[in-house]
Amino acid sequence: MTSESTLFSNRWLPVLLVAPFMLLIILFFYVPIFQAFYWSFFLEQPFGGGSMFVGLDNFARVLSDREFWQAGGRTLVFMVTASSLAVLIPLILAVAADRKIRLSLPARNVLVWPKGVAGASIGVVFAFVFNPFVGILAPLNKAFPGIWAPGIDGTDAFITLIAAHVWSGIPFNFVILLAGLQSIPRTMQQAAAMDGAGPWRRIFDVQLPLIMPQLFLTLVLEFTESVTSAFALIDTITHGGPGGATTLLVYKIYKDGFSGYDLSGAATQTAILMVFVILLTAAQFAFLGRRINYER
Amino acid sequence: MIENARSLNIAASVILLAGMLYILGPLYLTLATASQSYEFLLRNGLAWYPGDQFFNNAARIFTETRIPIQMLNSLAVAFSLAIATCILSFLSAYAIVYFRIRWAGVAFALILATIMLPVDIRVITTYQVASNVFSPVNALLYVTGLNGLIAKAFGAPVQLELSVLNTHFGLIAPLVAHGTGTFLFRQFFLTLPKDLFKAARMDGAGPVRFMFDILLPLSRTSFAALFVLTFLSGWTQYLWPLVASSTPDMQTAVVGLARLLPDSDGEVPDFPMIMAGAVIVSLVPLLMIALLQRYLVQGLVLSEK
Repeated sequence: MTSESTLFSNRWLPVLLVAPFMLLIILFFYVPIFQAFYWSFFLEQPFGGGSMFVGLDNFARVLSDREFWQAGGRTLVFMVTASSLAVLIPLILAVAADRKIRLSLPARNVLVWPKGVAGASIGVVFAFVFNPFVGILAPLNKAFPGIWAPGIDGTDAFITLIAAHVWSGIPFNFVILLAGLQSIPRTMQQAAAMDGAGPWRRIFDVQLPLIMPQLFLTLVLEFTESVTSAFALIDTITHGGPGGATTLLVYKIYKDGFSGYDLSGAATQTAILMVFVILLTAAQFAFLGRRINYER
Repeated sequence: MIENARSLNIAASVILLAGMLYILGPLYLTLATASQSYEFLLRNGLAWYPGDQFFNNAARIFTETRIPIQMLNSLAVAFSLAIATCILSFLSAYAIVYFRIRWAGVAFALILATIMLPVDIRVITTYQVASNVFSPVNALLYVTGLNGLIAKAFGAPVQLELSVLNTHFGLIAPLVAHGTGTFLFRQFFLTLPKDLFKAARMDGAGPVRFMFDILLPLSRTSFAALFVLTFLSGWTQYLWPLVASSTPDMQTAVVGLARLLPDSDGEVPDFPMIMAGAVIVSLVPLLMIALLQRYLVQGLVLSEK
């Protein structure tokens, strides 16, 4: 090879460099995904009792199950409400922190803390803070009995979950959005101000359009995140209750697979959920991603 | 400052105050309750001010629960996850960016796809694979008919079995299979000037030398950022450590903490002790954030670009 080239031309060295990582990825990512789809066409016996090809029977069984549709619907509701709040609140905070005020430095520090608190830990904390008998709303409950009862009222339990989810989602979204805001050239803001655009106008006409790439990214990641990371919160705060009101798909799959030993059913639901997540991401890129101008 | 907008600055301050209150409020209540006694909780409910029982509650976490040993597990898992991710991501990104290989695009796409479906979604079948990591080999032998031949020649088909469940390796491996690190290093390598490479070549540096003497020192900040990011993610994992460990002594601290909550509603749980547990379990990652915040923020920003 000539020294003009910008690449090494070794043949086997790159294979050797990628191989260990690729092996892990194939074994613990692609094989499980393949197996989920494979199992959705077989009836698996628990404890290795062999399997039987059943065609689309698993899908028919899952799709005719009312609990599956309810869990799916709840997943959608959670996804839309929790992730839009988990982007909107950091966005408002980032716009505020972007102004050069005294509080913006401590805020930038504190708002990253939740990154160090596990979903399950904050779940344990929120289970306590929103406990109807000893929690923060207990005095309210004494005045108006039954107004806050996450153990009975599904909506109350749902609200607790969303509050905890937004709490732990703040660091990533805040940091990304703030970085986007800060990369906007100051001159652009000044030019807009000289043209008579007030602060509000500038937020909507200069800042928001210019951080569309960041906004898009946080939204895409947040959608997947809300589908999956809800597990730790559900398992610590509500256990899927009351009466299944907070049983999202990811929790139902876990229950069906590990407590109900319905491996085929769980694998089928996993396959459906994976297809849904992939389609959702693809759709976001197709409809939203294309309209975003990445040029500055 | 573009214009002197006092009212706007006040509004922004109020918003930031509210945001900080939202983050710190639950943490403060946790700390305050962790320093009260169970009797205090039963009498007054949630504690608005700290008491003097914290060390008492913390001592009970250390003597009555498995959390001390689980903290060691968490430390081992988070640390080896971060190290493994850093090394493997660096090597694979190096191969993808600096070698003339036709499959670079495919390899990168295969690695990047892992970001889309986290382990929480594929937990059921990942568990099955972890219960026998040779199951794909067995299936391959069976499908290709090789096993039939082997059975004829040696009298019995090959059936390999190795479970990594309830081992540290099993706790870590599926979490390593994640593409963020490769993405991060690739983006970083692409920002480096091409002349760097040419100069190194002219001086006669081969691929190994180029990697150790030039790329590695330049990537120090990326390594730090990725290390902090993966360490925190390893420490805070929940679902995978929950299913991959079957004995309390193999569980991670976060799982152990969640197990302290009673399953059924009934009498009021011993929240002061549990909150003391929450404080102890979150101490290591929070300290890390306090000390290495610069790298964490950098990692978060880098991982999106």
